[in-house]
Amino acid sequence: MSIVKTEQLTKVYGEGATAVTALNHLNLDIQPGEFVAVMGPSGCGKSTLLHLVGGLDQPTSGRVTLDGQDLSGMKDDDLARMRRRRVGLVFQFFNLIPVLTAVENVALPLILDGTKQSEAEQRAESWLTRIGLSDRMAHRPDQLSGGQQQRVAIARALVAEPPLLLADEPTGNLDSRAADEIAVLLRQISEEWQRTVLMVTHDPRIAAHAGRIVFLKDGLVVDETRLSSNGRHEEQQVRQKLEVMS
Amino acid sequence: MSVPNALLGLLAHRPRHGYELHDAFEAMVGGEENWDIKPAQIYTTLARLEKKGLVVEEGVEQDGGPEKHIYTLTDAGWAELRAWFSQPVFSDHRRDEFFLKLMLSLVVEDGDPRRVIYVQRAGLYQQLHAITAQRIRVDPKLELAYVLLLDQAVMHLEADLRWLEMVEARLDEISRQPIPQPADRPRGRPPKNGEG
Repeated sequence: MSIVKTEQLTKVYGEGATAVTALNHLNLDIQPGEFVAVMGPSGCGKSTLLHLVGGLDQPTSGRVTLDGQDLSGMKDDDLARMRRRRVGLVFQFFNLIPVLTAVENVALPLILDGTKQSEAEQRAESWLTRIGLSDRMAHRPDQLSGGQQQRVAIARALVAEPPLLLADEPTGNLDSRAADEIAVLLRQISEEWQRTVLMVTHDPRIAAHAGRIVFLKDGLVVDETRLSSNGRHEEQQVRQKLEVMS
Repeated sequence: MSVPNALLGLLAHRPRHGYELHDAFEAMVGGEENWDIKPAQIYTTLARLEKKGLVVEEGVEQDGGPEKHIYTLTDAGWAELRAWFSQPVFSDHRRDEFFLKLMLSLVVEDGDPRRVIYVQRAGLYQQLHAITAQRIRVDPKLELAYVLLLDQAVMHLEADLRWLEMVEARLDEISRQPIPQPADRPRGRPPKNGEG
C-alpha cells in the first residue's frame, strides 16, 4: 500500500482573473521507505504539494491519501492529531528553543502530546544517538553547528515515530559539506529506518541523494528518475533536466 | 516609525531630491516586493521633516522637466539620525492580532479555533513559499544583505509555524482553563484621599 497517494490533486490560489493554479490534477504514488525529492522551477507547485500531502493546507479539488487515510474527509481535530503523529516536519531553519538542550528540544513534541517527561527524554536520546549526536545531548543550540542543529531538528521531527518526514529546503541554510551530510542522513532515514522522506529542494546536489526525483512544472509531474541500486543520481543530469524545464 | 529616519539616513549619505529618495529607499530595502512605499509618502514625509527643521532645501535641479528640489540634512537632522542609531529597534510580539483572534474564537458562540489555526497556517505557508522563491533568486555573492533580510523573514515565519503547532497541541488544555476576565473594579467614583 502507498504511504502517500495523490489523485487529481489541484490547488488554486485566489479567484477569477488573479487565480493561480499551483497544482493541476497531479497524481503521485509514494511507497513506504522511499526517499523522494521534488524539484522544479520556482512556482511549479513543489512546496504546495508538500503541504497538501502533510494536511497543512486543503486542496481545491482531488484527494490525498496518507497512510491509508483520506485526508479530505477528515475533521480539523482528527487532521491535527493525524499530522502530529504521522507526519514529521523539517524546515529550512532549525528553530530550536534556545534555552533547552538538544534532548529537551527533541522531547518537547512528545511532552506536548502528553508523554511523561522521563519517557519522552529517553526516546529523544535514542533518536539523537541514531543520528550521531550522542555526545551532544546536553548541548544548547548555540553550542551546536548549523548542521548539528538541523540534525537535532530532524530528530525532533522523528521522535513521535511518524512514518512520513516532510522536508522543505532542509539544506537551504547550510554550507555545502553540512548540506551533503544532511542529505546522506535523510537517505539513511529512509533506507535503514524505513521512514518515507518527501523533500523539496532546488539544489541538484542534494536531490541527487534521493531514491527518486520527481520534476514538477506548472503543477504537473513532467518527468521523474529512479535509482535501482544504492548509487546516486548524476548531478549533472539532474541539472540538465532542470535547465530544460525552466 | 522608521521611514522619516530612513530618509534622514539617505540624505546624510548625500543630498537628493524626492524622487531620488524614493528610488534609493526602494533599492535599499530590496525592492517594492519587500517594502512598498509611494512617492507621495516620501514627499509628505520630506515636508514634515522640513517643517521640523531636520532637513533643508539646498537647491533646485532642472533638466528640462519640472523643478527638482534637492534636500540636505540640518544639524538638528544629524542629531536626530544619531539618536536613531543609538537606540535599539523592537518588534512587540506580545501585541499579536492572531492571538486575539484565537482567544475570541474560543469564546464566541460559533467560533472554531482549530479552523482559525488552520487558516493561519495555510497563510503562513503561502508567505513562506513566496519568500523562499524570492530568496532562491537572489545571488548571495552580490546581494548577501538581501539574502540575510529574507533569511530573517523565513526564520520568523518558520518560528510562527512551529509556535502554531505548539498552540494546536495544547488547545484542549487552553479551552479548559477559565477565560481571562477583567479584575473586579468597585463601581462609582473612586474615594477621595482620607475617605473610606
